[in-house]
Amino acid sequence: MPKFSALPQWLALLGGLAFAACQWLIYAYAPVEQTLGLPQKIFYVHLPLAWWALMSFFMVFLGSIAYLWRRNPAADRLCAAAAETGVLLSGLALVTGMLWARRSWGVWWTWDPRLTTTLIMWFIYAGYLVLRGLDLPQQRRNVVCAVVGIVAFLDVPLVFLSARIWRSIHPAVFGNKGGGLEPEMRLTVIACVISFGLLWAGLVWIRKRQLDLAARLDALQQNRLMQEGL
Amino acid sequence: MLRLTLAMARKDLSLTLSRGSGLVQALLLGLLLLFVFSLSQGVGERMTPQSAAAVFWLSSAFCQVLIFNQLYALEEANNSRLGLLLCPAPIQAVWLGKGCAGLILLLLAQIVFLPAGVIFLGQELSGPLPQGLAALALTDVGMCAMGSLLGALAQGQAARESLLSIVLFPLLTPLLLAGISVGAQALGAPSADGPGIWLGVAAAFDAVFLGAGLLLFGHIYAGDE
Repeated sequence: MPKFSALPQWLALLGGLAFAACQWLIYAYAPVEQTLGLPQKIFYVHLPLAWWALMSFFMVFLGSIAYLWRRNPAADRLCAAAAETGVLLSGLALVTGMLWARRSWGVWWTWDPRLTTTLIMWFIYAGYLVLRGLDLPQQRRNVVCAVVGIVAFLDVPLVFLSARIWRSIHPAVFGNKGGGLEPEMRLTVIACVISFGLLWAGLVWIRKRQLDLAARLDALQQNRLMQEGL
Repeated sequence: MLRLTLAMARKDLSLTLSRGSGLVQALLLGLLLLFVFSLSQGVGERMTPQSAAAVFWLSSAFCQVLIFNQLYALEEANNSRLGLLLCPAPIQAVWLGKGCAGLILLLLAQIVFLPAGVIFLGQELSGPLPQGLAALALTDVGMCAMGSLLGALAQGQAARESLLSIVLFPLLTPLLLAGISVGAQALGAPSADGPGIWLGVAAAFDAVFLGAGLLLFGHIYAGDE
């Protein structure tokens, strides 16, 4: 029996606890924004979700390059874990973004570059997950998914640029010097992003381990069938 | 490589165009979309140039999916794909040849879609036409580079049209936005930015995905089933 490190569980637990502690920063430490009021607090959840979703997709990109280079199935399983986590987080970022848009701009959806880029990425990586579910020979499926994983991430800057040219009404959060945020708000955002990062790392790691174990079980079953001459 | 590219494009074009149903399915689907969207206008109403350009590019995108499915299906019978793989030339020539054939077929379809769009959707070509044609060419090149790369991934799949659509359409978003924006300007919609910035986006997309196609096609088009 292989021994597994308990680090991913600890990471997820630590991230969860840290993010719970961040709620104090969000509601007690950070000041209430004057224009938007309490709904502005959505921002402290929305930003980490969007940030780590993008990191997940970047990880799919790196894992895909690694797979095409070395043909290592572990790299493919890392891509699968990261893509699933990324689709989940970007879906939640879209929901929180829509809540923000409703309160801030009076509409549920608007052609904001960041929101639109997140939606298009969600579509692209949801399609990627459909590809992963296809009944193809494993190696063929891995190669196809690696190619799509690379192409998808190459598209992200172009999607963002085109959505920005189309129309922009998003506030510049970190655009100017000082970020347009109060120091307390900035500290709260940074704490939320870091604690959510721990949770994200734990989630991706645990999911990757599940996929590793599933692959190991499949291999054991195939070996057994071969030994039995089936 | 260039010789195989040209031979591939010539072979695909002659096989597609010589068959009775060659481009007909893709053309009919595109025309049907244009007609159905024309029903969204009330009697005497005129669709906005931006909506008309969006419908035109939607028809072109669906047409492109059918074209590349058809082009890659040509080698599925009798394991002809293995013959291509054994050919003593870079495999990228297959991607380029199919891309060129797809581009010509898409342009042929758009020669029909453009007047049909003007008639069904009540439009007039009153904007800058050279920039409109440049955007059409750049958008078509990008669509075919991507279509030729991803067309190969759906080979042998039962529901390959829907599979290709869900993967391809979101990836084409920047290009479609460029085509729609410059197309709307060619149909008379005013724009503060002008077509230049969108032509730049389309050219950047083409450069990125022509390079990606050259690098990645060899991985995706292989002998395994």
